[in-house]
Amino acid sequence: MREPQDADADADGSQTNLLQGTLDLLILKALALGELHGLGVARRIEQITRGTFQVKPGSLFPALHRMAESGWLTSSWGESENKRRAKYYRLSKAGQRQLAAETAHWRRISLAIASALAAG
Amino acid sequence: MPILTAMSSWWRNLRHRSGVERDLDEELAAYLDLLAEEKMRQGMSPEAARRAARIEAGGVEQIKERVRGARVGAFVDTVLLDLRYGARMLARSPGFTAVAVLALALGIGANTAISSVIDGVLLRPLPYPDDGRLVIVSRHFARSAFPYGTLCLADYLDWRAGNHAFEDPSVFNQRHFDLTGTAEPEQLAGAEVTAGFFSALRVRPLLGRVFGPGEDGPATQRLAVISESLWRRRFGADPGVVGQAVDLDGRRSTVIGVMPGEFHFPRPDSEVWTNLVFDPPTRRGPFFYRGLARLRHGVTLVQAQAEVDAIARRIELGDPRTSRLTFPLRPLREAIVGEARPALLVLFGAVALVLLIAAANVANLLLARATAREREMAVRLGLGAGRARLLRQLLTESGLLALAGGVAGVAVAASGLALLRAWNPGNLPRMQEVHLDARVLGFTLVVSLLTGFLFGLAPALQSSRADLAAALKQGGRGHSAGAGRRRARAALVVAEIALSLLLLAGAALLLRSFAMLQRVETGFVVPAARLLTMQISPNAARYRDDKACIALYERLLERVRRLPGVESAAVSDSLPPDREGDADTYVIAGRPLAPGELNPIVSAPTVSADYFRTLGIPLVKGRLFDLRDRADSRPVAIISEAMARRDFARQDPIGQRLKRSGPELHDSPYMEIVGVVGNTRYLGLARALDAAYYEPLPQNAGRKLFLVVRSAAAAASLAPLLRREVQAVDRDLVVTGVATMEQLLSDAVAPPRFRTVLLAAFAAAAVLLAAIGIYGVIAWSVAQRTHEIGVRMALGARRADVLRLVLGQGANLAAAGIGLGLAAAFALTRFLASLLFGVGATDPLTFVLAPLLLAAVALTASFVPAQRAASIDPHAALKVE
Repeated sequence: MREPQDADADADGSQTNLLQGTLDLLILKALALGELHGLGVARRIEQITRGTFQVKPGSLFPALHRMAESGWLTSSWGESENKRRAKYYRLSKAGQRQLAAETAHWRRISLAIASALAAG
Repeated sequence: MPILTAMSSWWRNLRHRSGVERDLDEELAAYLDLLAEEKMRQGMSPEAARRAARIEAGGVEQIKERVRGARVGAFVDTVLLDLRYGARMLARSPGFTAVAVLALALGIGANTAISSVIDGVLLRPLPYPDDGRLVIVSRHFARSAFPYGTLCLADYLDWRAGNHAFEDPSVFNQRHFDLTGTAEPEQLAGAEVTAGFFSALRVRPLLGRVFGPGEDGPATQRLAVISESLWRRRFGADPGVVGQAVDLDGRRSTVIGVMPGEFHFPRPDSEVWTNLVFDPPTRRGPFFYRGLARLRHGVTLVQAQAEVDAIARRIELGDPRTSRLTFPLRPLREAIVGEARPALLVLFGAVALVLLIAAANVANLLLARATAREREMAVRLGLGAGRARLLRQLLTESGLLALAGGVAGVAVAASGLALLRAWNPGNLPRMQEVHLDARVLGFTLVVSLLTGFLFGLAPALQSSRADLAAALKQGGRGHSAGAGRRRARAALVVAEIALSLLLLAGAALLLRSFAMLQRVETGFVVPAARLLTMQISPNAARYRDDKACIALYERLLERVRRLPGVESAAVSDSLPPDREGDADTYVIAGRPLAPGELNPIVSAPTVSADYFRTLGIPLVKGRLFDLRDRADSRPVAIISEAMARRDFARQDPIGQRLKRSGPELHDSPYMEIVGVVGNTRYLGLARALDAAYYEPLPQNAGRKLFLVVRSAAAAASLAPLLRREVQAVDRDLVVTGVATMEQLLSDAVAPPRFRTVLLAAFAAAAVLLAAIGIYGVIAWSVAQRTHEIGVRMALGARRADVLRLVLGQGANLAAAGIGLGLAAAFALTRFLASLLFGVGATDPLTFVLAPLLLAAVALTASFVPAQRAASIDPHAALKVE
């Protein structure tokens, strides 16, 4: 029998690799519309990708903490719609710049990939 | 990320770790609450919603671990954590830690000590600028037993005249000087050197100056450069010493400079250098000198060799009695340390093997411990630790262990080095330059860490693969990884035994050589403890005349013989086993040699009449020297049996005549052979037996001679009395090297004893470690198999059967290791060949005894656990289940 966490780590590892930039971009995009707590970010991403990406907490929280440490996000404790304490994230100035840069970058890549596929 | 932000995050994470952790806990708790609430809104019961939320989120601990991993400084964080945890784990099993650290300290310490010696002696450049260009020039010709013989002054002048390859060609003559005139007379080691000597080495004096060009010609003033040590000892570090006059060998010499304390050339104890003053030589000899010169830039050693060989050919053409003359060149460093290299490299190999065995042993201990920790690993894996994380934790532990071993090893090395330096029998050059320094400590650090990695990796890989479910289910009895671990441990023990056998075989070969060396016949029959020897050096100014010297020694012997307890006394310029005085080639009357042919150079001792009786060298034929042999009587000689066999196999040597015949030595008279005596060694015990011809003291006066006294009982106690008697004859006589013959014999085998004892010690350490290893494996296996053995005994196995079962396991391991070790030893012992004496590199006795000894040790080590197995109580063993 293989240990469950090993299996998890492997699968998740490859997914993270594939989506390394993507997850950051999606989080930035989700937060561009306003501040959200962790679950809110996950649900917003599901919503704006029409259910294509379901972000697990094991990927979400490390990404949020990393981005907060990079200065793209700020966080503060607040109250949820149902009067529950939750930690809210919001884009900083640097985060907005990062979103713009990554969006431009992504456009360039997807254009390039699209034209490459069309050429075939 | 801006560096400042990163640093402040890292600082915050580090400083407020608990705050950050609490924050994360709350954040995740809130997340779960929100998720559960979402589910409740979809119609689930609170209970079901909470459970569903947990399942969907996955392990909270795993999320936390990943967030920690994503944080800046996570690495440093976990390393600190690992270190703290590792230290705690090691402290929790002090027995294991002590054994492991001790084994590693021995291995690393021995390595550090020997590496320091290798570094200081073999690797470091000599303390002269651009030392690679310094060359020693020697002389070799057909029939000479010495590949690197000494030059004569005529050689030097020819070399200097034809030289283009070198800057500053010079020669020096190592010798001793008697310093008299001021306080106690004292003998100093030193050298006579030509003007180019110091400039070739490019060394500067601490005070004053060194010899300038032309200060070695005829009619130059006698000058002296002294060492810092002599300056401090005899002149109270007085800067005014420059310009003072001192008496060296009875000649007034002016001190012109002081060399700094770190200058040790040509000998480690050289304290005085005088300018070599010489008139143009009239013959090719005597051969006292070594050439020293610095290669010009752009000239290779090969080119320089070609040039000096051409000079040698020209000399040969001018002298029909020299044949196949060459001037072999050797880089200075090679000349100084070349002889020490083989023994040092063998010792280095030996300590590397000891370290490998120590590492294997610790790996073995770690594997045993891994069994005990299987459950801990499983729990940690279950709580969300990644495999890489566990691996790192385990490697940190073994790294800590190795570092602790390294620190203890440095202490071992420091005391080991102090011991080596104190014990250095003089065959290790440059020992004064050997210390533990940053370079060697750096090496130790790297070796320790590599060792830690080496012995830690396999057990760590094993442990981190722990099977969670199995480990927990079996209640930590650890059957799961058992088979792999058993194989790994068996392989380690087999390797340990194989490596130990290799060391043991090497040590046994050296021990056998040493025993052979000690059994070599010295040639004299008087017990060595009853012979006392000393060297006597008369004041050169007052005893320049041969007659005066002879009279002095006759007077001295007269007085010494009358001392109570003295049975017999003699003087000579040579002493067995390795104090060769004069040596020369010879010609036998009526046997002309072909042009270019030469008899070998053999020992030519000058001895007083009682020499043979004093030492107990047997007379084989004819007579010994006696009172008839005066300075003005017919010249006579006594030859050794080896010479009689070589030159007079088919005729009676008595009555034949021979004469000294150094090249261009024409004027020496023929001597009549009056006796043949037994062979005696003058060139050390390991050399092939040398021929010798003796001349009587009155006919060939010597100035500095050995006094040898035979006493009725142990001779050591005679020393003070004898010394007083010598001073009573003449207060200015310098007495040095007072020692019994026993000590001389012991000194003669000091270098082989040194390496033999060291290698034997390393081999003993290796065997001990291997024994611990095999004991550990068998004991562990018995503990693991308690249940099985209990079942066997319940089914009727007897104690003897169990004993045989366990011992058989040890025997199998030993057999495999010994087989491998024998193969390795057969392949490798030939590298010892140059250190062996009287035994071959694959000496059959060694190759039988060493494996037998190791097998006995292995079986003994298995016997203790075997007995424990045999006394297992089947009831108790089965109840444990």
